Amino acid sequence: MRPIGLRQSGGALKRLAIPCLSLLLLASLTLILPACTLQTGVGYNKGYSPEQPIAFDHSLHVGTHNIQCTYCHNQVERSRHSNIPALSTCMNCHAQVATNSPQIQKLREAYEKGEGVQWVKVHMLPDHVSFNHAAHLAKGVNCQTCHGQVETMSRIEQVTDLSMGWCVNCHRQPENNAPINCSTCHQ
Amino acid sequence: MGVKHNSGDQDAQGPAHEARPKERPIVERDNRYWLSLDHYAQDPEFLKKVDEEFGSSPLREDKEEGWARREFMKLMGASLALSTASCIRRPVQKIVPYAQQPEEVTNGVYNSYTTTISDGHETLGVLMRTREGRPLKVEGSPENPLQGGATTARSQAWLMSLYDPERLRGPQKNLFNEKRTNKDTVGVTWESADAAISEQLKKGDIALLTGSTSSPSLKSVIKDFSQGFRANHYVWDPISYEDIQAGQKASYGEEGLPFYRLDKAKMIVSIDADFLGSWLMPATYNHQFLATRNDIKNMSQLVVFDSNYSLTGANADIRVKIKPSQQIDVVMAILNELSKLGADVNGDLKATFADYASVGDEMGVDPELFKMIAKNLWDQRGKAVVLAGGPATQTEWGTSLQVAVNYLNSLLNAEGNTIYSQAMGNLAGGAQQLFALVKACGEGKVKTLIIHEANPFYALPTQAWNDIFKSVEMIITTAPLMNEVAQHAHYVLPMSHAFESWGDSEPVNGLYFLHQPTIRDMYDTRGLGLSLMTWAFMAKVGPERIQKAETYFEYVQAVWRDSIFSSQGKGRSFSQFWDDTLQTGFVGALPSSSGRGFNASALSDVKKIKGRSGLELVLYTTTAMGDGQNTNMSYLWEMPDPVTKIVWDNYASLSVNTAQKMDLHEGSVIDIKWMDQTLQLPVHIQPGLHNDVIAVALGFGRTMGGKIASHQGGNAYTLVKWQDTPVISGSSVEVSVVKGKKIELACTQGHHSMEGRQIVVEATVAEYSKNPGANIHRHKVWNFWPGHAYNGHKWAMAVDLNVCTGCSACVVACQSENNVPVVGKKYVLQGREMHWLRIDRYYTGTPENPETVFQPIMCQHCDNAPCETVCPVLATVHSDEGLNDMTYNRCVGTRYCSNNCPYKVRRFNWFNFRKVDEKPTQMAYNPDVTVRPRGVMEKCTFCVQRIKEGKLKAKLDGRTLKDGDIKTACETACPGNGIVFGDMNDPESRVAKVFKSEPRAYALLEEWHAAPSVRYLSKIRNNGKETMDRDSHSQKGDHS
Repeated sequence: MRPIGLRQSGGALKRLAIPCLSLLLLASLTLILPACTLQTGVGYNKGYSPEQPIAFDHSLHVGTHNIQCTYCHNQVERSRHSNIPALSTCMNCHAQVATNSPQIQKLREAYEKGEGVQWVKVHMLPDHVSFNHAAHLAKGVNCQTCHGQVETMSRIEQVTDLSMGWCVNCHRQPENNAPINCSTCHQ
Repeated sequence: MGVKHNSGDQDAQGPAHEARPKERPIVERDNRYWLSLDHYAQDPEFLKKVDEEFGSSPLREDKEEGWARREFMKLMGASLALSTASCIRRPVQKIVPYAQQPEEVTNGVYNSYTTTISDGHETLGVLMRTREGRPLKVEGSPENPLQGGATTARSQAWLMSLYDPERLRGPQKNLFNEKRTNKDTVGVTWESADAAISEQLKKGDIALLTGSTSSPSLKSVIKDFSQGFRANHYVWDPISYEDIQAGQKASYGEEGLPFYRLDKAKMIVSIDADFLGSWLMPATYNHQFLATRNDIKNMSQLVVFDSNYSLTGANADIRVKIKPSQQIDVVMAILNELSKLGADVNGDLKATFADYASVGDEMGVDPELFKMIAKNLWDQRGKAVVLAGGPATQTEWGTSLQVAVNYLNSLLNAEGNTIYSQAMGNLAGGAQQLFALVKACGEGKVKTLIIHEANPFYALPTQAWNDIFKSVEMIITTAPLMNEVAQHAHYVLPMSHAFESWGDSEPVNGLYFLHQPTIRDMYDTRGLGLSLMTWAFMAKVGPERIQKAETYFEYVQAVWRDSIFSSQGKGRSFSQFWDDTLQTGFVGALPSSSGRGFNASALSDVKKIKGRSGLELVLYTTTAMGDGQNTNMSYLWEMPDPVTKIVWDNYASLSVNTAQKMDLHEGSVIDIKWMDQTLQLPVHIQPGLHNDVIAVALGFGRTMGGKIASHQGGNAYTLVKWQDTPVISGSSVEVSVVKGKKIELACTQGHHSMEGRQIVVEATVAEYSKNPGANIHRHKVWNFWPGHAYNGHKWAMAVDLNVCTGCSACVVACQSENNVPVVGKKYVLQGREMHWLRIDRYYTGTPENPETVFQPIMCQHCDNAPCETVCPVLATVHSDEGLNDMTYNRCVGTRYCSNNCPYKVRRFNWFNFRKVDEKPTQMAYNPDVTVRPRGVMEKCTFCVQRIKEGKLKAKLDGRTLKDGDIKTACETACPGNGIVFGDMNDPESRVAKVFKSEPRAYALLEEWHAAPSVRYLSKIRNNGKETMDRDSHSQKGDHS
């Protein structure tokens, strides 16, 4: 039990504190909420293009050499995930190709040690969203529709905001005949 | 294309819109069904509790501290912090791909592997769903001849033992002091442990103590090891079948356990054999029994004489409460009636049986009952079986009971028809062997003791084991976590989990299952097989097979090549045979046998039990805990007991009258005294119990069984009389009340009252024959909802109450599939349990002799869902496939939906329950299902992730979806195929047929016209009566 005097003074403080805190809360909400919601793209990481442990160049592989996306991301047509290729996939070519490049040497080193490369995740959805690559590909959606002109990117960049509004916008187009149930994406 | 328009009343009687307000729905109050004794008595306290669904609220003002307001401010502060955080750049996440792509793994796609779960006495063939090399869900294996896809609650929870955070990460050495009191351990390497143990083994005098195993390879490796080291192997199980073995020996001269074919039986009489709950092989017997219940007009009859209110008793067509000392009377009374019906009984025996003519009167049951049972048995001879067994029949007179039962079965021509003798050679464990070991230790004949999958330190009074500590130089155990054995062992060599290892089993003679690992060893662990092989190899002893094989896998293959391949190979090469067996999970067939001659002289030992009065002890094993050896799995503790619906505790069950006489209430604490032992337990007042019975569950009260299992309830093994044939039940006990002490029991039944409406429907076979839809009240409904258009699929479910035994496999399967958290006893007491699927248990009749009905309740996915209309933020809305979608990230936790749900299926996350899960429990989460945070509602989704998976698979395969492509978790777990899920818009689907043409189908609260997408099929009782009993107080036609 606390001494009575302290309790009383505490009560007085509390009486003051509540309106003060409420005011503060209101003020912060009026300032912060518009900043988050009205300013498009904020909080969605559009334009995110982090440096990767190995400077893999999509423009070289896809743009110059015309390698199909599904050659490396080979599980994308049967899985909800688009797999980041295993190092063994890279080594299919790079056992012979460009073996002197320092980047490839990094790759070879990791491969020989049997360690995966820690790529930085660029396109990320929250845990409560379930996106299925295979379903979209089966419907004939192009990789570029969501991922942009990957064939021109030397470093991969998130070009769309991947927000719910952005998803739903496409799903709502009558020609797409896409479901718009909540459980379509949230399960 | 025309739009199909399902207004939601397609199943109602007549066009709904024509109904006038004067025909408002009749709200029925059917008070024949009751949930608890308080409910039966219409106790005002209970009724108040029912109104108050959640028990408590964090926003309720606490008078002392006024914390509710503070809590509110804290929550507001937190949400403010969160709203700012979302604007900040997120933390960087990494993706680490494989270095070498495994061929069979596709990220995000399930692989299923056949494997086997050996749980005590039952071996289940299962399919393990794995993702990226991680086992996630146990599914039944439909082709398996033993269980046919059935699973149990325990097997569904088995995954939690793999991801148990308390599993030992590697071998441990105990830092004993001189007196062996120090319990600290230190990690060692396998090399050093092996070296020390090899040195010790050279001294000889080795003993192995294991539980029963059904694995041919493990038995073989133990045999090879024992041969090499001249070791002795002792087999012991805390719950064994010694009474049956002794009875078999006396009756037929052979000890082996029989295998019962309940699927061939039309008349089943069980005396305390809880074959649906925990006796022998519950999944198998559930599956077999339910196969006889589908053809309703010719369905089997189950009569149970029940000392405890067992799950089998709850499913009986006719249940008679008895006390253990009446077991023999019951059998003899049936024999007496049978001898009058023309059974071949000689004169002397007839005279003996005639002594039991008055048993019915003594027991206070209808004297016609035994006549009827005997007649039905006799009419169905060759298709009848009488079972007796389980802890409740392991009494001083257990062998006599078995002999009498065997004689009864031989008269009924059951041998070779419904009973296959000598078919379970695996269950050989007996207390005799344990006492032989104790004796050998006492005489100093054991220098090294290896203990594997046996825990005598828990089940037996410690005193008997003091001899062992003193004389044995080294104790080695394979305990997976620090348990009661491990704390006394010099070396703890944790075994790999069954899901990590190769193995095999022969659950019944001639049928072989393969275990294959579904994950690589998570820790530095090793199976017993490899340890024995290593030590034999180091000492250069034993036959060539144990020397040659480098891994246990090679050894298993060698055993299969030597012994199983020759009989089961059928012309294939061994590698082909092996691959085929891995694919199916099993090889061989169910055993069969012919009849044997009964040794009639054995009957002379059967004597009437006389002069018993006072309380008789009944110990029983529960569906969830089994014998109590592997219980560190939270799913099992929170699974409500199928009959009592109590979680997290064991208790002493007393009948209503006895409790009244002793002035005991639910939760009063008593001391049970037997010889020099005392066990303190709370009281549970159990309707339908004999007045002279006190029933206590075994398997609780572990002192060191892991964080979850330890110190929960009391250890009833202390009340077992351990001798060569243990006396588990039937002892006379004294009970004294502990004044002023109360232990609240967390019971889940009563939180979800159905307010006495027509929820479960029952009919007798006679009623069904006249009108298959008997006793279902159809209602005129009126409707102002516009309805929904379902142009593609319309998902629906049908649940057959007639094949629901309440086994609760679906409850745990749902929990495992959908990441449903465990909340603990404290919160269950507040009504905060999270199960998406619950099984309601209704009693009907009087508290002295009630019958039971089980009803699984999940979200009904109503077309006119009451929850959807009240959600202020549209977090729960209707999908165009008839699902009631729940969007967690939109939910703000007003709980209006739950208040408005007439079925009470919605669950609220009061806390971040999953946050307290220790690593690696998270590995058991299903990655397809969102882990819900605090403050959001959740409920059954009809396994929407499986619906989407099935739809996508069909799409990628370029075909239309077939009925049966999508199976919900509860559906796959059910041993009786009682749950059917499918598409209503596919007229050929099973579920559409139920909705359209099954007369037994009805909707819950049809009169409210929420238009649920779940139909229940009424339960039919084969009790020989014309109509269901209607004497209780029903108040029908009550307009509200």
